[in-house]
Amino acid sequence: MRTTLLLFTSVVLLAGLAGCGRNRDAETQGPTIALVVKTLNNPFFMDMQRGAEESANRLGVNLIVQAADREVDVERQMQIIENLIQRKVDALCVTPSGTTEIVPAILKANQSGIPVLIVDTRADVEALEKAGGKTATFIGSDNYEGGKIAGAFMVELLGGAGKVAILEGIPGHETGDSRLKGFHESISVAPGIEVVASQTANWERGQGFNVFQNILEANPDIDGLFAANDLMALGAMEAISAAGKTGQIIVVSFDALDEAREAVEKGLMAGTVAQYPKEMGRIAIEYAFKVLQGETIPEYLPVKIELVKKEN
Amino acid sequence: MKRREFIIHYGRQFGTLLGLIGLCVVLWILTPHFLTVSNLLNVAQQTSINAIIAVGLTFVIITAGIDLSVGSILAFSGVVLASVLRAGCPIALAMLVGLAVGMMCGLLNGVLISFGRIPPFISTLGMMSVARGSALLYTSGRPISGFSENFRFLATGKILFIPAPVVIMLAVYLIAYFVLNRTKFGRYTYAIGGNEEAAILSGINVKLYKTMVYGICGMLSALGAIILTARLNSAQPIAGMMYELDAIAATVIGGTSLMGGQGSVIGTLIGAFIMGVLRNGLNLLGVSSFFQQVVIGSVIIVAVLMDMALKKQRD
Repeated sequence: MRTTLLLFTSVVLLAGLAGCGRNRDAETQGPTIALVVKTLNNPFFMDMQRGAEESANRLGVNLIVQAADREVDVERQMQIIENLIQRKVDALCVTPSGTTEIVPAILKANQSGIPVLIVDTRADVEALEKAGGKTATFIGSDNYEGGKIAGAFMVELLGGAGKVAILEGIPGHETGDSRLKGFHESISVAPGIEVVASQTANWERGQGFNVFQNILEANPDIDGLFAANDLMALGAMEAISAAGKTGQIIVVSFDALDEAREAVEKGLMAGTVAQYPKEMGRIAIEYAFKVLQGETIPEYLPVKIELVKKEN
Repeated sequence: MKRREFIIHYGRQFGTLLGLIGLCVVLWILTPHFLTVSNLLNVAQQTSINAIIAVGLTFVIITAGIDLSVGSILAFSGVVLASVLRAGCPIALAMLVGLAVGMMCGLLNGVLISFGRIPPFISTLGMMSVARGSALLYTSGRPISGFSENFRFLATGKILFIPAPVVIMLAVYLIAYFVLNRTKFGRYTYAIGGNEEAAILSGINVKLYKTMVYGICGMLSALGAIILTARLNSAQPIAGMMYELDAIAATVIGGTSLMGGQGSVIGTLIGAFIMGVLRNGLNLLGVSSFFQQVVIGSVIIVAVLMDMALKKQRD
């Protein structure tokens, strides 16, 4: 008897949970567009969501924003996309968790006739072509260009000579790889600059702290740090301050999160390359809407990228 | 069979099944997209990998053990399989290599636990890190991708109209059910978990059987790796993170007791489906991903509460 009661309460509980978690499904007449980001516990993607919401409200679009719990969970992202295809959304905007791993999911959307817009991180063009998949457009910043800007800034601040450490993102991620490539391209003009360590901290703040602490241990005379994103840089800055070296190491990073901007303002961080995730979200929904109206849109929609430093 | 006996023997599985059906009914009412053939096949396919790993964990947990390394073993056997495939090795042989890697990791767990007398929680925690690190070292952190259509059939193919991973999952459950309920190996598995001392005294080679159980668990993780690699057309060294928790959750929701000696693979299958249906349903409803974690956690707690209630009846 008690079991039956328990069961009954649990079903009621679930129904209640599902009910209150439900959003404004089918409230408006407009199309349903889904935005699938890597994760929603990173401020970058929260900004993207905000931008998407603005566009959706303006255009009368039903917006569904979904993400895996963890940024690197490519299989979960694929499941989410499969489920949204079942849900018969009209268009999909996706920030791939894995550049090649996203390809099978894009193919599935293609087969169901759902247009796919790629945001922020490119899908592997070669793998996509080989599989015969297609995407409507890519909306994002040129990370390679951003990396070059960061590298040139580092060269300028170091006066063309010094020891530099790099905190990489997850290997195999197009965004991180492009930033690194751009950075290396820029510092290659200054032979006096030596990269003494280049290790991944998997985009995470905690790992940024630990990895950079180890790097500092091995190379106490480091002059500069380039981190492929702000979270890793912010973690590394804690390690710098723990080592009592605040102000002695030039930190350049990427993303221009609010916290990083503050650090730049205070002079703790030399600069951070700003991307505009909110803009990406806004453009993504706007152009997904255009695709659904039958308009042709460009293959690449660049979003501006610029260096945030103290003077400006 | 009297009502009381029925409840004691089958009540838990029956309860879990009712829970799953109840969940489906709720979703059917809330969204028109849930109860369609294509969506149900979609859910089954999404559930298959977790369900296959959870079978191995069910065996392990019935012996009163635990295996935290399944996700890492999946990643390691996945990248080895992928590299062998990329080197042009025939598919069947590559799969055997992948399964062998998983099994070796599992057997190593078993040896450390049985002969090294290290608690399962600790030895598999160690293996979790060793296998993950090995996968990263082996690939320098980069995914290995691009496989033949024939290999990808394991994930994308259909047999009749049923996706291949679902067929593989059903085959695994059929075999596991038979092994657990109809063989000496199965009876010993329960006996070891029920009372290890008594099992030793009655002449069961407990060390050997426990080692084998961990070996099977590792091999099933590798089977999960095969399907995952085919599904994503890529093997990542960081694949399968936290899969151990999903598999443990499916097992526990399915009524297998962490104290050992009790449990069933059918329960685990239902448990895995409860998780799969929940995630699918919440996606269909457009519920926030943060909320999904709350719901799944609540389900685990409700399931264990159900166990407690049943245990009281039994006593």
